Amino acid sequence: MKMSKRNGAGLTANQPEPTVTREEWAEGVADRLGGEAVVEFDTARIYVDREKWLSTIRRARDEEGLNFFSWLTGIDWSKEVEVGEGVEDVDGLDERFEVMCRLSSVENSDAAHFVARLPKDDAVIDSLVPLFGGAEWHEREAHDMFGIDFRGNPNLVNLYLPDAFVGHPLLKSFPLLTREVKPWPGDVDVEGMPGDDEEPGAET
Amino acid sequence: MTDRDIAMRHRSEVAVSVELETPGMTLNIGPQHPSTHGVLRLIANVDGERIISVQPVIGYMHRGYEKLSEVRTYVQITTLVNRIDWVAGFASEVPYIVAVERLMGVEPPERAQWIRLILSELARIASHLVFMSSYPLELGAITPLFHALRDRERVLELIEGVTGGRFHPNFNRVGGVKPAAGAGKQQRGVSQDIPAGWFAQTQSTMERIFGMCDDLDTLVVGNELFKARTVGVGIIPADRAIEYGLSGPNLRASGVPYDLRKVEPHLPYPEVEFNVISAESGDCHDRYVVRLNEIREAAKIVLQAVDKIPSGPLVAKVPRLIKVPKGQTYVRGENPKGEFGYYIISEGGQKPYRMKIRSTSFSNLSILPWILEGQLIPDLVAVMGSLDFVLGDVDR
Repeated sequence: MKMSKRNGAGLTANQPEPTVTREEWAEGVADRLGGEAVVEFDTARIYVDREKWLSTIRRARDEEGLNFFSWLTGIDWSKEVEVGEGVEDVDGLDERFEVMCRLSSVENSDAAHFVARLPKDDAVIDSLVPLFGGAEWHEREAHDMFGIDFRGNPNLVNLYLPDAFVGHPLLKSFPLLTREVKPWPGDVDVEGMPGDDEEPGAET
Repeated sequence: MTDRDIAMRHRSEVAVSVELETPGMTLNIGPQHPSTHGVLRLIANVDGERIISVQPVIGYMHRGYEKLSEVRTYVQITTLVNRIDWVAGFASEVPYIVAVERLMGVEPPERAQWIRLILSELARIASHLVFMSSYPLELGAITPLFHALRDRERVLELIEGVTGGRFHPNFNRVGGVKPAAGAGKQQRGVSQDIPAGWFAQTQSTMERIFGMCDDLDTLVVGNELFKARTVGVGIIPADRAIEYGLSGPNLRASGVPYDLRKVEPHLPYPEVEFNVISAESGDCHDRYVVRLNEIREAAKIVLQAVDKIPSGPLVAKVPRLIKVPKGQTYVRGENPKGEFGYYIISEGGQKPYRMKIRSTSFSNLSILPWILEGQLIPDLVAVMGSLDFVLGDVDR
């Protein structure tokens, strides 16, 4: 029943009534492709083994109708955080990289974020360029920002960063250099008044 | 000596030029070039007039918004996100703020949602009018620029009238939109948020927009010179567009009638009537016509919304200190250029742990090497311009 809906003539005038919820749909996809589904806030994540990354994505494209390559990125799960906020449960955190790729349909609102976990000392995964030409730039960006290697990407050179740039800026261990040089000027706004017991920068 | 004898003296030179080869030559275009909409560099490998391959070089404007958003609070990030696609600043604010609201479980009041809808559509008109003016200019026609930019200025005045900013409104707040200065804690009446006479001004401006679209229709769309440069040039088949993640008018011009305002609306789009504009062939001409007709649809939406907007409060009750519970979500919206989305990972603090920005022009531009292969150099500008990208949106 669901397949016929997906292969249907296209969009109706208004949003079609969903016949299955996002949760049911994502669990079905995860079952068929061999993964683990997590759905929260109307957003489906499907965790897959990194060895099966390429084959799972190919099946998602060919069998589940998720042929629109939306984006791909990396996530650095790290206990030590140089800038910004850390994770809630630091002790229980399994330090790793995640590679996340969003695929969606161009007929309805079906969409899933496929996630592969990579160990930090072996951040290598298959490239999706054989499946989606658009993956090349996204993988180059993730390579710039996280140092993740994509096996099979034909042109894995810096996309955003200058050629001589050292380091991977979106790593949690990478400092924000502008703030090292000059503190965030917005701190002035919450500075305590004279005679105030509060420390400068305290939350109000 | 007869003319023939004189001509024959050049025979050897003619023979050389007939056999003259045009081996691979590298042509560097940009980063400063009038038709690159910012700083984009193309390294083209050409054989005579024919392009063998093109390597775009981007990143000249990379500002690191994903890193910056990790050190700013959720409230401060709104200032960043409307600077990504500055031609339609308001439209890029909406998916971000909806994502934060979804994580916090806040439902903005109806009036705020309608104001967001009107301003999003005005941003769409303003953004498409930049394309309407700049694209013929790149092909050598200067008159449409004056028509389109003249009326775009009126649309920007409308946006400025409500938000105070022409390009960077920074008007969305978690739970609604920014109340007007002086509204204070009591939001009694309608007059406190929208300036008096604004709706009437909007209606008259939209009427002008319809007239201007008709002008452009006769001036540009049916123009023989324009057609000669664009019809059948830079064809993107639907499957290729999907593979590269093209969205918005670029995707719809290739025959895929996919519009997030119909599929996944988070503003009251189901309550207004409009058509999803699409075309069949996916060439440069279609991409122009689709955007032109989208301006008309957007103006229709604005006129309906002006009639339907309810009165009421502008901001829902939210805590004074914005803390977002742990969770991950992705919200996307139909930006004028296509799918614009934010993937937010919150770990329960005042700042996101990670925010991935799906900017439209980045994906739209990534098809450039594929589409330019085998084209002629004069078509390079025609093809590139038809994708309607903004470099700030490419580089983030």
